[in-house]
Amino acid sequence: MSTTYDATRIGAKRSAFSWSTFLRNNASILLIYFFVLLLAGIASVFSDRFLTVSNILNILRQSIVLGLFAMGQMAVLLTGGMDISQEQVARLVGLTVATVFAATGSNPAMILPLVLAGTLIGVLLGSINGMLITRTHAVPFIITFGVAFILRGINLAISSTPIRGIPDAYLQVYDAKIGMVPVNVIVMGLVWVGAWYFTNRVRVGRNLYAVGGSERIARLSAIPINRTIISAYIISSLFAAMAGLFLLARTGVGDPNAADGLTFQAIVACAVGGISLYGGRGSVVGVLGGVLLLTLLNNFFNLMQVNIFYQQLLLGSIVLVAVAAYRTKRLGSL
Amino acid sequence: MSTVSIEPKKRGFLGGFQPTPRVVRAVDLAGQWAAPIIIVLVMLVAAIYAPAFFSPNNLRTVSIQLAVLGVVAIGQTLVLLVRSIDMSVSAVLALGAVMVVQTEAGNSIGLSLIQAFGVAALIGLANGFLVAKRHVPPFVATFGMLVFVGGARLAYTKGQASGTVPELLRLISIEQLGPIPAALLVWLIVNLVVGFVLYYTRVGRWVYAVGGNPGAARYAGVNVDWVIIGAHVVCSVFAILAGLLLSGYIGYVDLRLGSDYNMNSIAAAVVGGTTFTGGRGNLLGTAAGAALLVMLLNLVVVLGLPIHWQYAMQGTVLVLATALQGFRQFLLSR
Repeated sequence: MSTTYDATRIGAKRSAFSWSTFLRNNASILLIYFFVLLLAGIASVFSDRFLTVSNILNILRQSIVLGLFAMGQMAVLLTGGMDISQEQVARLVGLTVATVFAATGSNPAMILPLVLAGTLIGVLLGSINGMLITRTHAVPFIITFGVAFILRGINLAISSTPIRGIPDAYLQVYDAKIGMVPVNVIVMGLVWVGAWYFTNRVRVGRNLYAVGGSERIARLSAIPINRTIISAYIISSLFAAMAGLFLLARTGVGDPNAADGLTFQAIVACAVGGISLYGGRGSVVGVLGGVLLLTLLNNFFNLMQVNIFYQQLLLGSIVLVAVAAYRTKRLGSL
Repeated sequence: MSTVSIEPKKRGFLGGFQPTPRVVRAVDLAGQWAAPIIIVLVMLVAAIYAPAFFSPNNLRTVSIQLAVLGVVAIGQTLVLLVRSIDMSVSAVLALGAVMVVQTEAGNSIGLSLIQAFGVAALIGLANGFLVAKRHVPPFVATFGMLVFVGGARLAYTKGQASGTVPELLRLISIEQLGPIPAALLVWLIVNLVVGFVLYYTRVGRWVYAVGGNPGAARYAGVNVDWVIIGAHVVCSVFAILAGLLLSGYIGYVDLRLGSDYNMNSIAAAVVGGTTFTGGRGNLLGTAAGAALLVMLLNLVVVLGLPIHWQYAMQGTVLVLATALQGFRQFLLSR
């Protein structure tokens, strides 16, 4: 046999499956699911109401908003950026839709156009973020922080009190069930599968990793860097807008304080789920684990009736311990 | 064999932008001098549209607010100079105020001051440790600290801060020394001390060296990690000091106290010419940036505009400043 290298055979030969390699490659994901199960175990020991079907479905439904935020945030984090404006985007969409609902007398015929308009707002704000970052080379999290403040001003200008007048038909987004299972949980499951497919099989999704891993090599591979980054921010804002629309159905009012603190929780969910905050590394499966962990934690706090004053303290300490435990390779700028 | 072009296509808005040296120089100067120039413009506009801005009472308010923001921004500048960032200043600031106000509950003022500064130093130490030793992205580490310290304050006060502000704080804050309030003097003294350290001592050179090129600084024998940790400690201590000035000025402590100081201190430093890539920035610029921001915030009040204009204004200033500094850094580092 010659030693010629057959290009078609590169990567074709797979080594036999070995548990040690599998464990080493997926350590962070396995660890996070271990913690999810551990927390669930502790919770079911302390409270006999925890391990009921209705409570588990409830947890899954509670995880939807954070899940949407985290999915969007993941796209941005993979490119090495960060999107602080998510929360305010969700609020802006919720408030705008609620205002128009109220102005048109809770007309159910307005649902479809308004949902479309809401997602359009998300896409628009995402492209503004992306354009600002790619054109000015500014630090992503600071500039989205500034955008968040501008949006906060706009939101307060729209309303500083909750807006009523959502049509009953719209509330079905939250309430509709097939048997015991809420429809939105099923839809969200499909969205997670879609996110996995997107990041693993779709070219734009793969480009997110390439750009975050090394911008220079991505450029040399003729990957459209600016377009990839802009689409990441559009994805982020789009999912935030969907979260805003979902929250509208959950609370039944357009709330100027909706989604408080969720941007940070989404970043934490991604970080503990193994997404590198320097970009280019991590997977949807890990993020799902992070989202489940944080949601479980909230549910646990409620079941255990932890005083609200201590919840934030506990969350903060968990975050600090989690980030301190991670060993990050690169010492980047920000 | 055909050659494949790997040059990215140049098209669209600023796509084929090739700056001349003159443009680079102009952007650099604009980044350096934007704040003082805009201050003059704002003053002219204020003189025409809002003469009330120049009333002695209002000028006194502005100068106290300038002192508070100025002290926080000095700490933030130090942290930015070493390529880090501190998102926890607002929580630290509020914590200091709460701790010292608890003196009414029995402790002597001296003891509680020592406690407050000690806690601040510890928080700074933890921030610096996470950033320098554990390589956590500064934003995430200090944002986690923000949640943690905020939670600690909630748990400590049980949601209701009470007590009266000690005389000493009112003395260093709103007591008049001739025409100027004492707080402004405190700010000037801090400026002088930090300026002396930055520009006339070895430690100051270390700060710029670490920010300019951490690798080179390490090879030159600078203890990079401890310079970063030191910057974080000083930043937290200044945040506490600002909290004391602020509570002395407003005369009471509430839970929303100082929540905007993260945003404003970063904006002040960035407007004043500090870049996020470290090693570039100075105290004069930061002072000008703080003055500009306080003036703009005050003008919203003087002109009688609704309060959400403050948010929109802060956001716009931050976005524009970040974009300008990002673009400047991009041009300079090409």
